[in-house]
Amino acid sequence: MVGLSAGEKHFIYGGIAQDLRTDGRQRLHYRPISVEIGVIPQANGSSRVRLGATDVIVSIKAELGRPSSLHPDKGKVAIFIDCSPTAAPMFEGRGGEELSSELSLALQRCLLGGRSGAGAGIDLSSLVIVEGKVCWDLYIDGLVVSSDGNLLDALAAAIKVALCNTGIPKTTVNLGASPNDQPDVDVSDEEFLQFDTSGVPVIVTLTKVGRHYIVDATSEEESQMSSAVSISVNRHGQICGLTKRGGAGLDPSVILDMISVAKHVGEQLMSSLDSEIAAAEASAEDQ
Amino acid sequence: MATNPSTYSPSQSSERKQLQQQRRRLFQETDWTRFDGRGFQQCRPAFLKTGAASAASGSAFAAFGATKVIVSVFGPRESKKAMLYSSTGRLNCNVSYTAFSTSIRGQSSDHKEYSSMLHKALEGAIILETFPKTTVDVFALVVESGGGDLPVIITCASLALADAGIMMYDLVSSVSVSCFGRNIVIDPTSEEEACQDGNLMITCMPARNEVTQVTLTGEWSTAKINEAMELCLDACSKLAEIMRSCLKEAASAPS
Repeated sequence: MVGLSAGEKHFIYGGIAQDLRTDGRQRLHYRPISVEIGVIPQANGSSRVRLGATDVIVSIKAELGRPSSLHPDKGKVAIFIDCSPTAAPMFEGRGGEELSSELSLALQRCLLGGRSGAGAGIDLSSLVIVEGKVCWDLYIDGLVVSSDGNLLDALAAAIKVALCNTGIPKTTVNLGASPNDQPDVDVSDEEFLQFDTSGVPVIVTLTKVGRHYIVDATSEEESQMSSAVSISVNRHGQICGLTKRGGAGLDPSVILDMISVAKHVGEQLMSSLDSEIAAAEASAEDQ
Repeated sequence: MATNPSTYSPSQSSERKQLQQQRRRLFQETDWTRFDGRGFQQCRPAFLKTGAASAASGSAFAAFGATKVIVSVFGPRESKKAMLYSSTGRLNCNVSYTAFSTSIRGQSSDHKEYSSMLHKALEGAIILETFPKTTVDVFALVVESGGGDLPVIITCASLALADAGIMMYDLVSSVSVSCFGRNIVIDPTSEEEACQDGNLMITCMPARNEVTQVTLTGEWSTAKINEAMELCLDACSKLAEIMRSCLKEAASAPS
């Protein structure tokens, strides 16, 4: 919980109204983003993203599994977010559970697309090895190491970076004699297939404080919010998911306005993330 | 896949897949009728009734086509002892499904998030300052799940809150649309939801023209969001009129 005095609150409101926030940013500016890849050696892909003082780690593991009977032509993706009590004392015990499930739900909505699989950031049908028999189960685990607001954007960025870093092992399949047998799958230790991440969106959260809205709010700014809308935007400028937090109502025209702002900000975020990923990959190769 | 299954299989996955593919073809075309004969922009007939449960301070029953929901509201009553002092009231929401609500028994367990979504949709409309230190409990039970469950739950819950005499800024009504290729279909049934490309749900207070909750899945262009939102907001205000007339009827009826 953030305790602010009346003066501090007034300072935050006044700064946002004048387009100069407490840390010197403008309303639509992100904090500097820093990216590391391959931080967890035992995972198939991993990343650490820092957005100001917000620090998250995402690990991606691929395991062999069975496709569900309802969707035999699709692999499975599970997203879990853990809010560690090391980040904030209020996450201790069951305290972080509500936030964790809210974050994982919002990420699932943004990454996995509609029920039919259209518009999904992660192409589930590319995870199938033998239809109806064997597929890859992708486990995306996020950990909030330190929290200073805007967790959802940081986690979505970290998942995007981690997917760029993910290698799915190459497989060779020996089909059994009868079609009912479970096929033998040989997993290669050396050859990896790069994951297609062109469709993975970024999330831009617009937080409404007073009469204005800002991107990338710190936890102090978040404590003063009336409502926040998280909009996920992909490379083609399409909206792939939208969730709203906070109780206060919003005028429909404000939401449409937010969507067009998010599209613009999302493009900038995506390009800065791309250059950070390229830099991180280059430095990882040097080592 | 074996073309002639030698043994009987209860899952019939290939058959179901064919059906889905056939439906998908239909959804790409612009002229087709929905399975229940409605037009694209036609909602299911809504039946609303207050006073469904006698023990509660307020309750409501809603039937939108096959979707049937009962919501009971208890309170305001004393908050649990473990809760800290609060100068505003608390709202506690819970959504549960009956075991027989879906065609396959026990398949309705993937709705854990509905409780928190119902809470978020309602909290902006309730004047929590009017009942400090106390809690209002909203319990929703989905008797039959026929698609568009969450919008029906939210609409019914706001009617039950009004029936219980909880102070609100406005009635809350909610409508969802599904997107299939180029088409936008309002108030989808569960068959339609199972193969939708995207979904948009809007919860709003029509008299104040305020959106309290909005969720969107799937890939949408801005123009399409515009169109879908307009459709939803229009339907929301019409639904709110039905809710209002239902409340008026209950209030004027001789008891």
